[in-house]
Amino acid sequence: MLELEGVYAGYKDLRVLWGISLRVGEGELVALVGPNGAGKTTTLRIISGLLKPTAGSVRFYGCSLDREPPHRIVEMGISQVPEGGRIFTGMSVEENLELGAFTARARREKEQRMKWVYQLFPRLEERKNQRAGTLSGGERQMLAIGRALMAQPRLLLLDEPSFGLAPILVEQMFEMIQEINQQDVAVLLVEQNVRAALELAQRAYVIENGRIVGEGSGDALLSFESVRSAYLG
Amino acid sequence: MTAKKGISLALLVAGVAALWLVPSMGVSDSLLNLLILMFIYTMLASSWNILGGYTGQVNLGHAAFFGLGTLVARILYTGGRPLFLALLAACVVPVAFSMLIGIPAFRLRLRGDYFTIGTLALSQILYITIGNVLPKITYLPIADIQNYQLGPRYHIILASALFTIGVAYALVKSRLGLGMVAVRENEDAAESLGINAFAHKLLALAVSAFLGGLTGGAYAYYQTSYYFNYTFSPPWSLEPVTMTFIGGVGTIHGPVIGAVFFVLLKEWLVMKVGEYHLIIFGVLFLLVVLFLPGGLVEAWERIRRVFTHRPAGKIVLSPSAEGSDLSGNSLASERKEVPMI
Repeated sequence: MLELEGVYAGYKDLRVLWGISLRVGEGELVALVGPNGAGKTTTLRIISGLLKPTAGSVRFYGCSLDREPPHRIVEMGISQVPEGGRIFTGMSVEENLELGAFTARARREKEQRMKWVYQLFPRLEERKNQRAGTLSGGERQMLAIGRALMAQPRLLLLDEPSFGLAPILVEQMFEMIQEINQQDVAVLLVEQNVRAALELAQRAYVIENGRIVGEGSGDALLSFESVRSAYLG
Repeated sequence: MTAKKGISLALLVAGVAALWLVPSMGVSDSLLNLLILMFIYTMLASSWNILGGYTGQVNLGHAAFFGLGTLVARILYTGGRPLFLALLAACVVPVAFSMLIGIPAFRLRLRGDYFTIGTLALSQILYITIGNVLPKITYLPIADIQNYQLGPRYHIILASALFTIGVAYALVKSRLGLGMVAVRENEDAAESLGINAFAHKLLALAVSAFLGGLTGGAYAYYQTSYYFNYTFSPPWSLEPVTMTFIGGVGTIHGPVIGAVFFVLLKEWLVMKVGEYHLIIFGVLFLLVVLFLPGGLVEAWERIRRVFTHRPAGKIVLSPSAEGSDLSGNSLASERKEVPMI
């Protein structure tokens, strides 16, 4: 459903991506792993349209995303959960979720969708009238994911969902990601927690210095020697 | 509707009705003038608040919209056009002008400071240009001055102020208003949810300019004489900011409270200390921004909380938020904040 081909991109004079190619199939759970500064977040920003590629193409169901503004890309079915969640701390939990259903398509089924999100994350329902800034780290991450799901994505982009979470929360977070994926939402997961990400993902890409240096099933990459030595110690 | 809401609504209606009837109560002209000033400053602050408070785009050139409103309304009205037409034009022209700065600044994603400096520059350019092109004093037509009555002006300006607050209220309670606040809180996150930040900022700017222009139109209809460039001068840009912050930025009632407070304090200070009132307001503004970012609205909330001993509405940390895992089990030692970077 999603295809990146030879994408180059950067900020001002700094080139970050050097010809990235990757794809995500319908309903797949794909991980993108690599060290700090390799270009993982930049890749997600390219897909969600927050940054435009200088060369190469991004296609979603065959439609080019190169010229689409971010809000159109959300409408087409791609939602991003930015690193750290970036929830609206001054608003209530429910208002955050409502903002997730901002597009015309999502608004029509807002009520049902919210019920589903509350089912996935009962904690959010308990706190729905609370200011989002008062949530704990794990709850914030749940809210960020729930908010993204409100837009009825067919592809969910997750940027470091385990960032800043205690180990036990990380495990639960990954279980939830799996559960969301089983509900027919494709997931592209960016993670520094390489082992957990590779165990979870059906396929994975390894990115280094803005280039894809490895690709394969999660299990295969786990046993891949260079990945083992570089990330798993 | 809950009983409490019903009571608030009844109080609001009664208050507006009382304000409406003030001129027929045989009160002094100076009281009417004071109230009119409060209405005009309320409009000025409320119109600024839509863009600066709710959408987070700090405009330091609101005088441009206000001034254009006065200029257009004054020229049309003294030229014999009907008042309604003059006021309408006073709203529309500033909107067109606002796009001059809004479209390039928001399209190029010039954030924060660039937009602020741009608005400041444009308003100063207008201030100087109008002063050179139209150096004379403007008067209302002789017939108007002879028959000048505060009553009808009071009602039209009160109606304009209610209209301004009504528009602001309807806007911020709408989906668009929610989008505006999202843009203010985090533009990237807003975009990633499908919110068109450019369109929301531009809309907020247009509504702010429209109502700022209406404020100018009301002022032009009220004042018998002033210099054409006076209404473009910097205080008309800075005072709405001061009032909004003192009252409570990003709330509907904040600018109203701020304007009433500001007008009363200013009138008193001008009598006591003359031009030094500017320094006092400058210091007050800094103190509010530093120590009471929510303004008088927040101060009131705090006081009420102390007296009612109620846990603060939405702001309090509920006990279970102190530490818990994703499924709700207590996990007191594992609480970690996700840094918002």
